[in-house]
Amino acid sequence: MAEEILREVNGLISGITNRHVDEWKASGKPVVGYFCHYVPREVIMAAGALPLRLRGAGSEDSSSGDAYLSSRLCTFARHVMSLAIDGHYDFLDGEVSSNSCDHVRRSADVFRKKTGIAFHGFLSIPRNPRESLYAYYLEELRKLMAGLEEHFGVKVGPDELREAIRQINANRDRLRTINEMRAEDKPKITGAEALSIHIASQVMPPAAFIDLADRLIEALKERPGLDTSRGRLVMVGAELDEPEYIEAIESQGALVVGDLLCFGGRSVLAPLDENAADPLDEIGRSYFFSASCARMIGDFPKRWEELNELYAKVRGDGVVFERIIFCDPWGADLHNIMHRIDKENTFPLLSLTREYNIVPTGQVKTRVQAFLEKIEIAKAQKAAAGGQR
Amino acid sequence: MNRQDIINKREWRELFEALPVVQGFFGGDPDSHGINELLRNIGVYMEELLAHADDGKPFVWYNLGFNSELIWALEDVHPITIELLGALHSTICNSQNALDFIDGAQAVGIPADCCSADKLAIGAIHKGLYPKPACSVGINTPCDAQVLSTQVMAELSGAPFFAIDVPYYHEEDTILHVAGQLKELIPFLEENTGRKMDYDRLREACNLSNQMAENLWEWLDWRKQVPLTQSSKLVGFTLLMQILFTGSQKGVDVTEGWLREARERTQRDERFFEERVRAIWYQDAVWTDLQIYDWFERELGLTVPVDIFGFYANEGVIDTSTPDTMIYGLARKLVNCHPMARQFRGDIDFYVKDFMQMVDAFNADCCIFAGHIACKHAWGGIGLFKEACRKADIPLLVFEFDMFDPRITSYEDVYFEVERFVNEIVVPRKLRA
Repeated sequence: MAEEILREVNGLISGITNRHVDEWKASGKPVVGYFCHYVPREVIMAAGALPLRLRGAGSEDSSSGDAYLSSRLCTFARHVMSLAIDGHYDFLDGEVSSNSCDHVRRSADVFRKKTGIAFHGFLSIPRNPRESLYAYYLEELRKLMAGLEEHFGVKVGPDELREAIRQINANRDRLRTINEMRAEDKPKITGAEALSIHIASQVMPPAAFIDLADRLIEALKERPGLDTSRGRLVMVGAELDEPEYIEAIESQGALVVGDLLCFGGRSVLAPLDENAADPLDEIGRSYFFSASCARMIGDFPKRWEELNELYAKVRGDGVVFERIIFCDPWGADLHNIMHRIDKENTFPLLSLTREYNIVPTGQVKTRVQAFLEKIEIAKAQKAAAGGQR
Repeated sequence: MNRQDIINKREWRELFEALPVVQGFFGGDPDSHGINELLRNIGVYMEELLAHADDGKPFVWYNLGFNSELIWALEDVHPITIELLGALHSTICNSQNALDFIDGAQAVGIPADCCSADKLAIGAIHKGLYPKPACSVGINTPCDAQVLSTQVMAELSGAPFFAIDVPYYHEEDTILHVAGQLKELIPFLEENTGRKMDYDRLREACNLSNQMAENLWEWLDWRKQVPLTQSSKLVGFTLLMQILFTGSQKGVDVTEGWLREARERTQRDERFFEERVRAIWYQDAVWTDLQIYDWFERELGLTVPVDIFGFYANEGVIDTSTPDTMIYGLARKLVNCHPMARQFRGDIDFYVKDFMQMVDAFNADCCIFAGHIACKHAWGGIGLFKEACRKADIPLLVFEFDMFDPRITSYEDVYFEVERFVNEIVVPRKLRA
């Protein structure tokens, strides 16, 4: 039963659109793509549009993106922009970019100049999540909202925002439940499957997702727990919307029982107040001050703390860091994580640099095998030392 | 860390030993006021740094998108840009040390695909070469690479850290947003250095900064002359001077030297070679060997009147009448004038517009996009930039290299690319015209 629902999930995320998006469009409602998790879905939803996380799924090559962005940018951006330039994203009624990183920022230029998409929103997101900079972010949200209102001819008031908060909260509730099941001693779901359902939550209407997630949760309750004796891993890093990547890691016997990935756990914010007097402020604060990405300067200590909290909560045996090649912000976090581990000897770390849309084969699997062996040896040594005592 | 501790470190000692040698080399040309003043003031800066360390006074670290006027205005606080040692070793001394910094940074986790300028900084910090700071300041301009270096700076220094956010847009609100943060920065600096902000000193620093800017603007005007009578290689130093010297007498002295040299050489109508082609070098200079520009001039007749590091936009001077006007002026400088920070933090249109204006103002025949391999914001705009050049009928050379690491693209390969472009594309085209 769970397997059947998970197949359905995989079908929904295997490309950049799916039947739910098609149905939404067919009903005459707009779809707005967005790049970064600092772009609040609630604002787009409140304007009557479906927020659709931009992805490169199904892209067979990045040559159109390469022509504009060069081969020196991250392959995620290049695949997304290839699809956009080649017209595959023409079904979008708008897109919202940001200065999240140089890659997204330059993609925004290409979106504006090389696609026929009618609405282009932009958020300049301050690079440090401190109170004095929050007002700027909130103003950016107001401008985005005004742009959406003007373009789509709608009026967004507090009630629309509260309704959007309610729907997205309900989505995140389900994801939290799934993440709890994932952290059990015998998890009910693999890391790859969990990532799939997180991705689905960002590419379909919330109501349809709730139905899907509820069915999945019920089915998972009946599923036998999975063995984690070869290692419970936590993943952290940048954009990863390819469950196949985690699948390759897990194929070596370990399970990814928690993550702080952009498409995964980091997108699951704490519940927002559905009755907030100023719902836009509630949305802004929630996004700006939580779910820290490596693009936030000076916020590494918080990210480190969150990683350690998650590691303890899911009783991790090791951490896998992943980064798409050419990503500077996550490059800094890799250094800082290594530096902290060196000082504090907190957990075993495996760092993987990857390209988007390339299924990991022998090399990654070999490294994961070696990492798991290292974990097992350390565990055995610890147990032996305990026995001697 | 006192004077002796610093000098005992090989990387500093070699710099102190090399500086007089390089000064002697360039001193052979008594008319070379620009480079001579630059080298002299680097010496002054380093001596001041040693004296400061000896006295146990506070240092403030910052990255290359920031300017130091506010730090100079705190009495007895010395600014240190974390790229300092790597940049100096690359340009005047021993590029092997720069390569050691790069390799050292990679060995502690900085990915190989990240910018070598940041690896220079991180490698030097990891080696413990800079006196510990009382606090550090990080700014997100011009690029993600600065996000990397500031995060690592904050982590390694262990000192209180202040982040400055420069938004994407080219509008008044951006300047006001940055000015607001500079106001926040002042109490942060005061608290962590134990020194009070002296607004008279700030006025003095701003006046010096203004003089330096006016010198640069006039100097750039001299570089518009056809043919160019000054060395091409000087141009990239504008950025280095901004991050090291702005707000100090040293910046004024160096730019006066440049200006004097430009004026004298132009008035004497000096010609060391026949200028055949003028290029806007619209990216990073070849810091690993600046002599390559001499070779371009002598062998190819190619001059570079301006590059992206050298272009200092004229957005007006800092109004020194009140603390608020000074802070506003400093913010405008960071946002609108600082090389690269101006062109690279926003949309590609602004980058292209500045380029087109440079082509006109400096009477350029072509563009050389010397693509620093890890410069994502520049490479990310290459497709649209190519289209703009094609539309404007400006010949464009694009090649990859690393501005601090000759192992990526050799000196010979850079020369080969440029030579072929000049001789096979630009010169025939000019002859046809």
